[in-house]
Formats: sequence, C-alpha cells, structure tokens
Amino acid sequence: MAVSTILIAFFIMLAIMLLSVPIAAVMALAGIVGGVLAFGWPLVETMGAVVWGVQNENLLTAIPLFILLGELLLRSGIADRMYGAMSMWLGFLPGGLLHTNIGCCALFSATSGSSVATAATIGTVAMPTLDARGFDKAKSLGSLAAGGTLGILIPPSVNLLVYGSMAEQSIGQLFVAGIIPGLLLTLCFMAYIAFNHRHERVGSEPSIPFAEKLRASSAVLPPLVIFAIVIGSIYLGIATPTESAALGVTTALVFVIFHGKLTLAFLNRCFIQTAKTTGMVLLIVASAFILNVTLSLTGAAQSMTSWIASLGLSPVGLLLALVVFYLILGMFMDVLSMQVLTIPIAVPVIMAAGIDPVWFGIFVVLMCELGLITPPVGMNLYVVQGVRLDGGPFLDVVKGAVPYVVIMLAFTMLMIAFPDIALWLPRTMFQ
Amino acid sequence: MQFFTRLASWSFGLLLLGFSIFVTLETLSRKIFNFSFQGADELGGYILAICGSLAFSVAVMERGHIRIDFLYDRMPARVQAVLNVLATLSMFAFGVFFLRYCYSVIKDTLEYGSTAATPWATPLIYPQSLWYAALAIFSVVTAIRAVSVLKEFLAGDVAGLNHEYGPKGISEELNDELSDLRSR
Repeated sequence: MAVSTILIAFFIMLAIMLLSVPIAAVMALAGIVGGVLAFGWPLVETMGAVVWGVQNENLLTAIPLFILLGELLLRSGIADRMYGAMSMWLGFLPGGLLHTNIGCCALFSATSGSSVATAATIGTVAMPTLDARGFDKAKSLGSLAAGGTLGILIPPSVNLLVYGSMAEQSIGQLFVAGIIPGLLLTLCFMAYIAFNHRHERVGSEPSIPFAEKLRASSAVLPPLVIFAIVIGSIYLGIATPTESAALGVTTALVFVIFHGKLTLAFLNRCFIQTAKTTGMVLLIVASAFILNVTLSLTGAAQSMTSWIASLGLSPVGLLLALVVFYLILGMFMDVLSMQVLTIPIAVPVIMAAGIDPVWFGIFVVLMCELGLITPPVGMNLYVVQGVRLDGGPFLDVVKGAVPYVVIMLAFTMLMIAFPDIALWLPRTMFQ
Repeated sequence: MQFFTRLASWSFGLLLLGFSIFVTLETLSRKIFNFSFQGADELGGYILAICGSLAFSVAVMERGHIRIDFLYDRMPARVQAVLNVLATLSMFAFGVFFLRYCYSVIKDTLEYGSTAATPWATPLIYPQSLWYAALAIFSVVTAIRAVSVLKEFLAGDVAGLNHEYGPKGISEELNDELSDLRSR
C-alpha cells in the first residue's frame, strides 16, 4: 500500500474526529470502508469474529476490574483522608503542601481510576488549604495538574493494559516497567518544587507528635496495601494481571466494608461509573481491532516501516520525531484515542528500528501524560481550573504547568539515553 | 432508559465483584492447597463479552463515548446541532454493523455446534447469544437515538438537541464529580 494513501487516510480520519464524531465510530467505520475499498464486502464478514475475539479476551477483563477498583477507593472517601496524612509527612520540605499534591496523586495513581475524578477529589481537598496558606496560584494549580498525569504511568494503568493488548506485549512486564519511571518522575517533580522554594523558611508547618502522625497515617494504608498486592502478585508470578486486578477489587471491598461505606447508593454510583467508563474504553478497543483487520491485510504497517527505514533515521532520531508528533497530536486528542490510533503503525516501525516494545509502551504513556497538560486541550488543565475556588484566569494553570512539561520532556530524553530506567525491573521479574 | 442503565450497571458490577471473590479464592486455594478450580479465565471472558457489550449502551446513554470537542466548542449552536446529528448517526451505523456482521459469529457457532476449547467445553452458543443480544440492544438504543435526534433537528429545537446529544464536556463531568464529592 502506498505511503501517501496511508497518510491521506490517516488525516481524513483525524479530520472527521475533529468534527466531534465519536472516536470509536470513526475508527470502526474507517476500518470497514477501507476494507471494502481494498477487498470488497467479504472482508467485513470476518470482522464479527474479531469483535467476539476481543470482547471474549480474558486479559481485557482486567480493564473493568481496575476501573471498579479505582471507583471503590475513590468514592469511599479513602482518598480524601489521604491528603491530611501525606501533608504531615511531606510538609517539612521546602514547598510544603505542593509536595503533598504530587505525593497524593502518585499514591492515588497506584489504584488507577478516572483522572477527572482523581484530580477533582485531590484538587477539592487541597485547594482550601493551599489558599489558606497563601500558596502561589499558578504553582499550586500546576502541581495538581502535573500530579494528576502520574496515574497513567504508575501501575496498574488501564492505558498500559490497552497498549499491551494492542501491541501484543506482556501486561505484567509493562506494569513492572512503569514503576521506576513513575517513581523517578514523581521525585523529579518534587525536586523541582523543593528547588523552586529553596529560599523559603522551612518548618513553618506546625509540628505534630510522632505518635499522632503514625495514627493519621492509617489513611495511607489502603492504597499502599492494594498496590503491593496487585503489583506484588504480578511481579512474583503469583497472578496474571486479570487475577491481580480481582485480588485488588476484593481487598478494596474489604477496606470499604471496614470503613462502613458499603451502601446501596455507594455501589450504585460505583457500578454506573464503571459500566460507563468500561463501555467507552472497550468500544474504542474493539473499533481499533476492527481497523486493525484492514490495516494488517493492506500491509499498511509494513509500508510505513519500510518508508521510515528509507528515511535513514537513527533510532534516536526516530524517537525524537515521534516526540514532536505526539506533542502535536496530544494538543488536540485525548489520551486513549491517541494511543489506539498510533500503536498499530508505530509499534512495528519502532520494533524494526530495534527499539524495545515494552520500553516504547512507557514512552507512549509518557507522551500521553504530556498531552494531558499541554494546551489547548490538556484535560487536566481544565479539571484543575474547574476545581479552583477564586475563578481566576485559565492562564494561571497553563503557566503553572509549563515547568512540568519541561521536566517531562527532559525525563523523556533521560529515558531515551538510559532505556534501562524502564527495562531493568522487568528483567528481574519472576518469569 | 434510567432503569436500563441501572440494571446493566448493577449486573455488571455484581458479576465483577462475584468474579473477583471467586478468583481470590481460586488463587488462594491454588497457592495454599495446590488445588485449582479452573474456569476462572473462561468465566472472566464471558463476563467481559456480555456485560462489556451492555456497557456500550450505558456509555451511549450517559454520553460517555469520547468525542473531540475542541472545534465543537468553538462553533455556533446550529453547526453544533449538525455535528451532534452526525455523531448520533455514526453510532447508529456502528450499531447496524454489530447487528449485521456479528451475526455471522452466531451462524457459524450454530452450524458447527462449536464448544469452547477449555476444561468446561462450554457450548459457545450460550455466551455468544447473550453477547449478541447485548449488541442488539446497542443497535436498538442507537437507532432510537438516531430517530429522535432527527426529529428534534427537523423540529428546529437546537438548544434541546445540543443539550441531549452534545458531547459531555470536561466541565459537565467535573460538576458531576464535585456534586458526588459533596454528597459523601
């Protein structure tokens, strides 16, 4: 298939998506129309079996389970209490509560869930305290927006799951590969905050007795325990990702019962939200696989691979070009669409260039994180703007987020220079 | 519609909870007593296929399917109405695809009397007919919405149409979350 045809088809699809036609419908219809044009209607007959194949995939059962896990923890109010506990421990650092924002988001990402809900919860809990202590607006808002992006990198992550299923890579390896980059990026954010506030007088926080600190810290336990069970069982080879998700849900259920939050209204909210999010994610995944039938039969990936190879780019050059490509795409698209739209072509291309597909999974998710905080469509920017109480200008949030964009780009370069940041831990895994 | 959302979500949610407890017991028994009850994988796949397909419709009714609203937000209301009609019709087209082309899966299963290649050897027609029924519900839901969006469009009710069929923007979703936060 000619490269020009592929590129034209891609841009037509993008244009229709920009007209606000649902992403899933665009991808499925593109697959059907393309398939009919190339091979006629008989090809479409085979697509029904593809839909059953995707939907009956036990691996993907992990998606609704992880979504439900996040909902259970979020809506039971366990996250709300985490903030106070974290601030006791991190408050002594220069930049005080800003570290708490990042730390809470990072810890919360250990249970995945929706980023809007996470940012809304932590933002709502944090904002009054931040305002009361007179923190700079842009800096507070920026830290919340950036912290909220960590969720898709730190496992368990639905985005890594979708990547793994589309790129045919081990979900377990991808999850484990996300741990060190996730933690390092969190530390980079905190180091920046500390550096930025280095002249501030430390110790402005009221001192709290150690025993009381310890008692309050029980609020941090549920996410930590669940993270340990989910990731630990995968790392040690005790459970598959789907089983680990089930273990996580059971543990979360125990915490919810223990906190006396298990009511019908609570379950109703969790279940509807889980069904809605799962339906959205799964329809996009199914449509991506429908499109994939056409893509693979027309040899689109091979054509792109040989075209890119003919450009004579080095692997680093290729990755830098992809950084620019994803940055631009991320300005207009949401994370999931960006992923499913690019993976079928990008993964064969980078594999031909000798880049590890597990590493690339982490790279793609990093690029998606950037998309969450780059205007005009950075979702987290809008969420954070929505939870602020003073109704100030949107530009504050953008200003606050810029340093984090720079940090994330620098971190991407670091990952390109030292791929082992992502790949070392999966190598030590129980196989 | 409200009733359907609740019914579908509760069935899905309860099955997921039940499945989680089953898998937890299975994993514990496998590790501690070295005894596996088998079938968890297969069960998980069926729950996903059937309830996941029901969830497609829940997402339609809750306006949860992702749409890029970057340009949409910057358009006059009339253009937005046209875009909403287009979006609703595209989902209907997706529904027609499911109805017509997923039927071939059912046909093949009936023809060959296929069973799952698992210890349970489940006759595939059981899970597949439920899966197909869920997809058929999706086509019905999208068809109803297609008809009513066209009706509203022809009646010229631009504001009502945009309210009911427009993409759920960040601000609306955020408001939902904030009201949930206040209530807990």
